Amino acid sequence: MLDPYILQQLAIGLSLGMIYALMAIGFTLIFGVLNVVNFAHGEVYTIGAFAGLMAISAFGPPLLVVLFIALAAGALAGFGLERLAFRPFRRFSDEASLKSRAMREATLMSSLAMSIIAREAMEMIFGSQFQTVDLAYLINKPIHIGPITIVNGDLIILGVTLVMLGGLQWLLKKSPIGLSIRAVSNNALGAKYCGINTDRTIIITFVIGSAMGALAGILVGLYYGAIFPSMGFTPGIKAFVAMVMGGLSSVPGAVISAIILGLSESLSTSFMPSVWSDMVAYAFLLLTLIFFPQGLFGARRERV
Amino acid sequence: MSNILEIKNLSLKIGIQDILHDISVTVPEQGIVSVLGANGVGKTSLMRCISGIYHATGGEILLQGEDISKLKSHEIVERGIMQAPEGRQIFSNMTVLENLVIGAGPLGRQELDHVLALFPRLEERLKQQAGSMSGGEQQMLCIGRALMRKPKVLLLDEPSLGLAPRLVGFICELVSKIRAEGYAVLLVEQNVKAALRISDTASVIEHGKIVIEGDASALANDPRVAEAYLGGHVHETA
Ligand SMILES: Nc1ncnc2c1ncn2[C@@H]1O[C@H](COP(=O)(O)OP(=O)(O)OP(=O)(O)O)[C@@H](O)[C@H]1O
Ligand SMILES: [Mg+2]
Repeated sequence: MLDPYILQQLAIGLSLGMIYALMAIGFTLIFGVLNVVNFAHGEVYTIGAFAGLMAISAFGPPLLVVLFIALAAGALAGFGLERLAFRPFRRFSDEASLKSRAMREATLMSSLAMSIIAREAMEMIFGSQFQTVDLAYLINKPIHIGPITIVNGDLIILGVTLVMLGGLQWLLKKSPIGLSIRAVSNNALGAKYCGINTDRTIIITFVIGSAMGALAGILVGLYYGAIFPSMGFTPGIKAFVAMVMGGLSSVPGAVISAIILGLSESLSTSFMPSVWSDMVAYAFLLLTLIFFPQGLFGARRERV
Repeated sequence: MSNILEIKNLSLKIGIQDILHDISVTVPEQGIVSVLGANGVGKTSLMRCISGIYHATGGEILLQGEDISKLKSHEIVERGIMQAPEGRQIFSNMTVLENLVIGAGPLGRQELDHVLALFPRLEERLKQQAGSMSGGEQQMLCIGRALMRKPKVLLLDEPSLGLAPRLVGFICELVSKIRAEGYAVLLVEQNVKAALRISDTASVIEHGKIVIEGDASALANDPRVAEAYLGGHVHETA
């Protein structure tokens, strides 16, 4: 029989991992279609949390509506982000420039700039301190299961993430738009020859990825009751690590890596001070880059 | 017979480089027209201009009278031009079936049986990852994918590249068969002999300009073509 404390940490770690997974999907999908890292992804998460918070304080809708508002805000943020920070650098359409190094470097800077602007703007509007969240909305009501205690947020996060992952899987495998996203990820020039509107596909990818990131933001905000303008930074790094561990553009790889990361972080607190648990992600990143440069699951995985 | 595709005085500059200069090529309905030339003369660049991957800096490309030279690649596909491009550009980590369905766009699986009848090899491999097939099979997939949308004009950029001689014959037969079904074909080939055998007319490009053009049979007997591309002696025409 496992120690109840370990079981409890596993439950927390699973929630954490699911949140990282939601975040990592956005990174991964965008890396797939453009071969770039979107440095503003952490801010999209924060925007999701603030959009939910504003909805709560404005008209106190049911939790499900709050989640939908965060999704919508994320989708909108993704759309704007692509238009402002990525589209302007994509002027040529041949294979040499579609996923070129020059574009990668330019959008690295432009997305970083957008993230700083977004964060500073939120600090100017809301201040940099924690926002107060209506206690009724917090998803930290304890639930006792035998010897361990979890909170209702653990179940909500698990449920919401499974629905999103299932939906995404269906979208990518079965829908025409999912087929387009996978086609552009696999061979952007080939996609053009097949009549796929690559610009539209890229926008849709940003919209989907950002909506999921924003959903993660509001879930965490309500789980810990902590919503503040720089809250996206740490989860952004964790999701980035999960993307690298998963092999950069593999959605299943990123999700599994995110869960491994969440569980490991949570278990690590049983043998080292919890302030150090962030080190786990950095250690994973280093080990992956040294021993598995193709990601933990090798290069032959199905990408996206 | 009316012309389905007319390329008029097309020119292309990339940076300061003159890639194409005053190119005119006409493809009649149900015609097979080939564009010939040595490496690096601009054949692929011409094909890319037609498909909207590059945008010509001068001249026009008329598809049934409509200028498509400013359109985006997906709009050109919607108007009925599909290309089996250089380098194949298949989706290597998706299945053969997925490749074909993507090529079909809104037509879905409508044309699948037809394409599989042309390429029985693909039928056995529908569930296989496209990238794990042999080069010849990938070439078949590339052409099959382009046919899935029932294009008005089919562009083939070196379909015989890297294929065994037997397969070159297969591709030639296939092109003739496709024409008999009502398609017009614009063909770029290094295999000049084979290309001239199946084409109606042909143009030879050098340094981005057309230097010889005319009926394929006339070109096959042209000493300039023979010297440059057919190993120095005039061959019999089929
Ligand atoms: N995007 C580009 N940037 C710079 N130069 C280019 C570009 N595309 C083509 N070129 C140049 O244009 C010329 C023609 O290239 P193209 O690929 O059209 O030749 P080709 O006739 O298809 O040759 P091959 O028979 O080897 O396929 C080459 O000198 C090439 O370097
Ligand atoms: Mg070429």
